[in-house]
Amino acid sequence: MSAPPLVPARMPVADVIRVGGHGLRSRPLRVFLSALGIAIGIAAMVGVMGISASSTHELDRRLSSFGTNLLTVTAEPESHLPTTAVSMIGALPAVDTVSAVGRTGARVYRNDHIPTERTGGIVVYAARTDLPTVVGARTVAGSWLTDAYTAYPAVVLGWTAARSLAVYETGPGQLVWLGGRWFTVVGILAPNDLLTDLDYGAFVGWPVAERELGFDGYPTTVYTRPQQSAVTGVQPLLGAAANPENPGEATVSRPSEVLKAQLETRRTLNALLLGLGAVALLVGGIGVANTMVISVLERRSEIGLRRSLGATRGQIRTQFLAEALLLSLLGGAGGVALGIGITAAFAATQGWAAVVPPWAMAGGMAATLLIGGLAGFYPAVRAARLPPTEALANP
Amino acid sequence: MTTPVVELSGVSKRYGDVLALDDADLRIERGELLAVVGPSGSGKSTLLHIMGTLDRPTTGTLHIDGYDVGALSDRELSVLRARAIGFVFQQFHLARGVPAIDIVADGLLYTGRSRAHRRQAAEQALHRVGLGHRMKHLPHQLSGGEQQRVAIARAVLGDPPLLMADEPTGALDSHSGETVMALLRDLNDAGTTIVVITHDRDIAASLPRQVRLKDGKIISGVRA
Repeated sequence: MSAPPLVPARMPVADVIRVGGHGLRSRPLRVFLSALGIAIGIAAMVGVMGISASSTHELDRRLSSFGTNLLTVTAEPESHLPTTAVSMIGALPAVDTVSAVGRTGARVYRNDHIPTERTGGIVVYAARTDLPTVVGARTVAGSWLTDAYTAYPAVVLGWTAARSLAVYETGPGQLVWLGGRWFTVVGILAPNDLLTDLDYGAFVGWPVAERELGFDGYPTTVYTRPQQSAVTGVQPLLGAAANPENPGEATVSRPSEVLKAQLETRRTLNALLLGLGAVALLVGGIGVANTMVISVLERRSEIGLRRSLGATRGQIRTQFLAEALLLSLLGGAGGVALGIGITAAFAATQGWAAVVPPWAMAGGMAATLLIGGLAGFYPAVRAARLPPTEALANP
Repeated sequence: MTTPVVELSGVSKRYGDVLALDDADLRIERGELLAVVGPSGSGKSTLLHIMGTLDRPTTGTLHIDGYDVGALSDRELSVLRARAIGFVFQQFHLARGVPAIDIVADGLLYTGRSRAHRRQAAEQALHRVGLGHRMKHLPHQLSGGEQQRVAIARAVLGDPPLLMADEPTGALDSHSGETVMALLRDLNDAGTTIVVITHDRDIAASLPRQVRLKDGKIISGVRA
């Protein structure tokens, strides 16, 4: 027979998308609702990863500004380190800088009318003038204690201490009631994320503390920065160097490690939230599958018509699969946008830079495609298997 | 001698215990316009489905446009429908919310023609059925007769050798029905082979050839 062979024509991708999108355009509300299910799941996952990445980014930023080589040696509560601690630690190999504070028993108040029990949790420290260079503190107002100030009633407040005392400016007029006499606030420190204790501190010069506040002159915390490569080598030696007679009475810690450990705990929470996001995504996928099954049932006559126009089973299958993929992609794109929005909003409230890792966005879209493919597969196969006569019999 | 457009020999179709079509022989030549007429349940729809290759005979052989349908796969049958057979249904089957020109253009969707070509052909086809002024109209903006003419334009878009019309006037008032029948006659004059399935004796009588069905058997009109 001379008749030409019957080979199906390939459908261009543009036609596949157009035909797949046809079913979506005609039912916008249903499409919106089932895409919303996917969007919530993706938004949750992208949001969690975005917030996690933003906080890691923030941590890195802080660590790079404070460094990870800071070590602290703290005396047990109600005790102190020997006066030799600073010089002993300073004498250790690879230790460049060392400084110290000594806790005084003094209290600080906004003025002399405040009841004595309302201390606001503020601790008054005698501080060495080289403290900021070691701990990486900077002032947001005024300046740190200089040698000229240390013999006079001048105080530098930590960030939180200044807030709770309602002191926002520095200078001759800014007085606080400290240890039973007026001190002038000469500086306010920026928040210190690595050493949050300092935020609650009020710092006065060593000599004035000894003279006016009954300070015994013993340091309670020593701060030191060994060379980066020597940190782990120096850390075990610090206890003995600070307090040779009772090395166990001094607690040695590395604040950057503490910060990292806090982040690790947050990671556990993130894993939980990611799991919740995955559940939401799964439910969203089931929503898409449900929508597609209903769509196939409702559109039997369309399927019949398309078969009569010459669509092969494969082309019907492709149409419904494309529809499911478009539906979930719609949800995925919305979810990624929403996740970015959540991250940006959360980061803004924390004062962080918003960071959404590209792999999270790509992963979100990939998960969406996977879900759409799985959800659309069975309905598409059902649509393709529908005999044309049966499809046309039910308008 | 040209090959007939449709040739059934000894075709039967059985659904469970019911013999819907019983040993049917039918030959339709190119350019014919014929009615398949009979009461409901007489096997008209079964004959339509089999001639339209939407369903396969239980026994017997069927040739459409020279192809032996029994030897073709489902894929190949789909291609045959895309190229050789146009369908017009009683319920029009027009997609909601889609302009007439795009509905008609979908008549060539599965033939591999470009979209631009399809739309251009659709424009011509709409002019041909007298709806050149209704290109952008949506189905619900058209009267029943106009909707059926849109469906006819879609069916004849690729100039198929065979047009199957299943109760094309069944859902229309008599005036619209006459317009649609007049259109089918025009298309036949232009060379399209047309089979009209109907239970309406008047419509059947107005066509050059009638194939009468009763209880699954062709009782007259076997040969023109």
